[in-house]
Amino acid sequence: MAEHRDPIARAVKALQEPVRIDPGLDARVMAEIERLPTPVANGPLPRSVFAWLRRRRTIRLSPLGGLALAAGIAAVVFVSNRLGGPNPASVPMDAGGAAGATLIQFVLVAPGAASVSVVGDFNDWQVSATPLVREEGDGVWWVTVPLAPGRYRYAFLVDGTTWLGDPNAPAVEDEFGRRNSVVTIGGV
Amino acid sequence: MRDETDGRLVRRVLAGESQVYARLVERYRDRLGRYAVRMLGNVADAEDALQDTFVRGYRSLARCTNPEGFGAWLFGILVNRCRTYAAQRARRQAMVMLDESAVASASVAHSEDRDAWREAITWAVDQLNPDQREAFLLKYVEELSYEEMQKLTGTRIPALKMRVFRAREELRRLLEETVRG
Repeated sequence: MAEHRDPIARAVKALQEPVRIDPGLDARVMAEIERLPTPVANGPLPRSVFAWLRRRRTIRLSPLGGLALAAGIAAVVFVSNRLGGPNPASVPMDAGGAAGATLIQFVLVAPGAASVSVVGDFNDWQVSATPLVREEGDGVWWVTVPLAPGRYRYAFLVDGTTWLGDPNAPAVEDEFGRRNSVVTIGGV
Repeated sequence: MRDETDGRLVRRVLAGESQVYARLVERYRDRLGRYAVRMLGNVADAEDALQDTFVRGYRSLARCTNPEGFGAWLFGILVNRCRTYAAQRARRQAMVMLDESAVASASVAHSEDRDAWREAITWAVDQLNPDQREAFLLKYVEELSYEEMQKLTGTRIPALKMRVFRAREELRRLLEETVRG
């Protein structure tokens, strides 16, 4: 009787049968992770970031070029190394220490968006930690973030659901195969 | 305390108890293993992909924004690792020049046998292209919704539906040929 059933249904049933994997895998995994640093829970940026912010430095970005807001490119990152005045969109990480520091601005042109945030290594990939604010009228979203020298992967999250890479920055894949952008700050 | 939730175990690992990760590995070894074996067609490659997945999961654990959803999060890593392994395997097989006709007739010759039916299914699934195989397994074996599949694979729903449809048609053709043979 079973021979008359739909072959797809029969195949699915067989494919759903449990699989036993060698329990020795556990020990192999644990031996490998023993050599790795303990993953760090989300938390504030290290003190070294703030110490660095108190010194003026030249920041070098990976090839971003263009800064082509006017040309309609969706997203750019650029450097501001001026002393900061009041900055409505700077991340609240070190108001005093940030004064005089060189800062990174993340900018995204997204006229139809209701919310935008930048998510990356610098905020432990917390989706709501670094929201961008919107310029009046023109659909430009931006935020300023103080960053220590290093290499940071990041992406923009639009309306809490859509991930966007930065077309002007180099890209790498994360563990899920999503393409993230990379920014490298000088000194590394 | 075998009943500790994924979220609690994840938080303990992040608090420095790295050995607790072994509990999560044990919990998800076979559950994730099924997908890896079905997707890659053999246990050896599946175990490599699994090990890679668990290690990457550990390294990225701080980015697991919903610790209670650790299993689904890890599954997302596995799906991606399997893609990579499937692509690597395809390159290896291209070099070996697999004789498909010989494999097909071997399945046909034993089609009365239950084990041979399983072998035929494994062989047929293996004949699908990786995108179709992934879509078929996620939809019918893992029983995900198209919305979940889209989130996991980054592929839009219409494309996923097409892949599932093509996979079903191809699988049906291959299996019917095998049974008839």
